[in-house]
Amino acid sequence: MPGERYSKFASQHDVELCALAAIGERRAFGELVRRHGSAVRGVLRRMGAQAAEADDVAQDAFLTAFERIAEFRGEGTFAAWVKKIAARLYLRRLQRDRKLGALTAEAVEDEADTRPADADAAIDLEEALKVLSAVERLCVTMCFGAGLSHSEAAEALNLPLGTVKSHVKRGLEKLRTRLAPEDGAVLEGRRGNG
Amino acid sequence: MVELDFERRIERLFMDAPELADAGPFAERVERRLDAGWTARRWLIGAAGVVGGVIGASQLMMSDIFQRVEAAGDSARLLTNSVSHVTSGADWVATVSSGGGVVWIAAGLAVVMMGFVLTRVIGEI
Repeated sequence: MPGERYSKFASQHDVELCALAAIGERRAFGELVRRHGSAVRGVLRRMGAQAAEADDVAQDAFLTAFERIAEFRGEGTFAAWVKKIAARLYLRRLQRDRKLGALTAEAVEDEADTRPADADAAIDLEEALKVLSAVERLCVTMCFGAGLSHSEAAEALNLPLGTVKSHVKRGLEKLRTRLAPEDGAVLEGRRGNG
Repeated sequence: MVELDFERRIERLFMDAPELADAGPFAERVERRLDAGWTARRWLIGAAGVVGGVIGASQLMMSDIFQRVEAAGDSARLLTNSVSHVTSGADWVATVSSGGGVVWIAAGLAVVMMGFVLTRVIGEI
């Protein structure tokens, strides 16, 4: 039974599952996918991928991670490692489809809708990210969602480091305006409920 | 400081990704692809082993192994004759070495051995 098959892995730590996957235990790796699949797909969607596209890239990222599992040293979390792989794969796909150049060359609108959101929308990062330009969204998500450094993001995007920093800074400013209400308390309060 | 706090808040928001409804089916799709890749790899290694075995066996057959065995048989007989006065125990050398049958036996054993090794390798992988 599938339930029985997976139950023996359910209580194991990610590092243990990685060790099992490294010796070819595919079911242990499946448990890792079960645990972190949504987070990886979420990062890709926040980078601007459509749902189906995000799923494809996330699948490829997990397969790549399985192939390269021996390279995972446990220095960071497994999820962060796969997110980085996924972010790079997504950028490669954009490059292949010749979309990346258009995205990064896109003019950034300074006057985007940065009105503070109402309390109900305040915690919705997805909604808040929509006020960012595509390239700002990419940069912010890569640095804060996928955990890439500014330098790594610049290299992956083939942009100067200063440009990436500017996009991140501008994106954060827009998010701050959008996410943080005047009192600054709504966000924390809502997170506590989640 | 405020800047840093806000960056941490953004990081936390990114980490708080909601669990998607189809997380299970997604994981199963990934596992199916892993299994498919694994099966393909086994078949590839198996096919490579069979091809290698056939090539090895055919090379053995195509070489002048028969002449060499015959020559070895002659040498063994000569040697046997030379030392027969010392011991009669060397007679088995001539018996075993003569004839092409031994080559077929050796080739068969080689193929069986290769199959065994291949099975072990696949098992280890």
